[in-house]
Amino acid sequence: MSNRTLPRLLQTPAVIMLLIWMLIPLSLTLYFSFIRYVLNNLRRPEWTTPSFSNWRGFGNYEFVLNSKDFLFAIQNSLLIVGSILFLTVILGVLIAVMINKAFPGQGIVRVLLISPFFVMPAVNAVLWVNMILDPVLGLQGLAVAGINDLIGSLQSAPGVGWFFSLWPEVKPISFRATQTSAYAVIIMVTWQWTPFAVLIFMTSLQSEDQQQKEAAVLDGAGTFSQFRFLTLPHLGRPIAIVVMIQAIFHLSLYAEIEIVSRGNGNKNLPYLIGEFANNNIGAASATGIFAVILANIVAIFLLRMIGKTLME
Amino acid sequence: MAIVATTTKFSVYGRPVLAWIVGLLFFFPIFWLVLTSFKTDADAVKPEFLLFFTPTLDNYLNMTENYDYWRFATNSIITSVFATIFALAVGIPSAYAMAFNPSRATKDVLMWMLSTKMLPAAAVLYPMTFITKSIGLFDTHFMVIVVLMLINLPIVIWMLFTYFKEIPKDIIEAGQMDGVNTWGEVKEILIPLAWGGIASTALLCFIFCWNEAYWTVRLTTTEAATLSKLIEGNRAPEGLFFGRLSAVSAAAVGPIVVLGWFCQKQLVQGLTFGAVK
Repeated sequence: MSNRTLPRLLQTPAVIMLLIWMLIPLSLTLYFSFIRYVLNNLRRPEWTTPSFSNWRGFGNYEFVLNSKDFLFAIQNSLLIVGSILFLTVILGVLIAVMINKAFPGQGIVRVLLISPFFVMPAVNAVLWVNMILDPVLGLQGLAVAGINDLIGSLQSAPGVGWFFSLWPEVKPISFRATQTSAYAVIIMVTWQWTPFAVLIFMTSLQSEDQQQKEAAVLDGAGTFSQFRFLTLPHLGRPIAIVVMIQAIFHLSLYAEIEIVSRGNGNKNLPYLIGEFANNNIGAASATGIFAVILANIVAIFLLRMIGKTLME
Repeated sequence: MAIVATTTKFSVYGRPVLAWIVGLLFFFPIFWLVLTSFKTDADAVKPEFLLFFTPTLDNYLNMTENYDYWRFATNSIITSVFATIFALAVGIPSAYAMAFNPSRATKDVLMWMLSTKMLPAAAVLYPMTFITKSIGLFDTHFMVIVVLMLINLPIVIWMLFTYFKEIPKDIIEAGQMDGVNTWGEVKEILIPLAWGGIASTALLCFIFCWNEAYWTVRLTTTEAATLSKLIEGNRAPEGLFFGRLSAVSAAAVGPIVVLGWFCQKQLVQGLTFGAVK
């Protein structure tokens, strides 16, 4: 057995590095979350340096729990992550199945499809919120104006004009309000991460058992039942992996939220922490600890979901 | 029979057309970004679907003259390349140990590593800035490289682990019989066999490093600032200057998108995360 010691030792550098990377900031956060610690306070300058003499117990935690934004931020985090996962998996499966068989220009379509995945999150947000979703300057405004023009000209058409005059004028949606800017974030992240899902599902589809499919065709199975009973079960494992990796990335979503919702009230947990951290480090740290707890709950779910298959 | 005929017709004509439409739709925002970057600021905010206009290079010239684009780009390349190399250097031995000499704790160690990615960066921003400033590493390439490496290490190890596990154990054991030492096993047997997987991992790690925008923005000011920082500095006060903004954005994502195109075969075959059995 001794000849296994060296190979096993090879994983220690990675373990030690990640341990340090996790433990030092985490213990500092834990410490700050129990003391009064603010960056600026003219009346109580002693609070601006971290010290045990400013001990506050669970006061920061109470403060965070009582702030009106906290529950909203958690809800919003879950709404955003959940919606993105739902949309990317459905779109990813449909697109991967659609482009799986050879057709003219398959390679080009594949390149076009996966391109959004390489785009920087900050660029993604700037691009969507200013140039596409903006109701005045963006393409959305143009599209809405175009639809209204079309309806307008149909209203003066002879014969059917009375019917179209019943139609209301279409109004552009502002994606800068609290609720709609969460939708804007969902749209832009879905655009960016659907290609990731497509990539993984596509790879998996290439290994699908073709003989089984041919047999199913001979038995008279239609396209839909082939998809339902052969392809979908085959994709179970890749779907679990896509969900897991995306959950890890999107729980800490920050740049998109920051750019889309500058101060309009739309926030997720990381963004709320960032807001607190502008002055109240104690409260930010307490929120951070709550975020760690939330991440762990999600991690346990994910572990249940794919942990077993991971080691097979 | 009629049903069969219509499905074939759909898969001959309908499916390719639909695929092309979806592909073009997904690519359209990038196309629009690049197109806008060649417009003057006045053209860029015109409320019309402007496809044909007199293109100008002013936005790009302005960017390289006034924003020192090349320094940001060089920093992005340096930090992403070295972070990827170091992540592989630490990750390959680690994944090798987990795949070929697993213990009962291996699965938990792997999941724990992934869970470190879920720590909210915003919560530890303040202590991290404080530490890096007090040890004099704030705004240095070294710090950015270390942080990028640590952020991506869990995903790198996990990907490598799934590739290594596909390699039959017998091959490694045969090497051991022949008296090859551990280093030899990794160098002579493992790396050549898992080359495709390692390349895919490196590529994905590089993409994530290039696009990282939390730590790179907050742990740098000028010296080690990457393209993320350039975007950060440009998006706020000049919000309405779409032409300029687009040029900066296109120049920031251009290199990585083109790299992605060239390596797309590698990504399509390699990005399995152990999902293919």
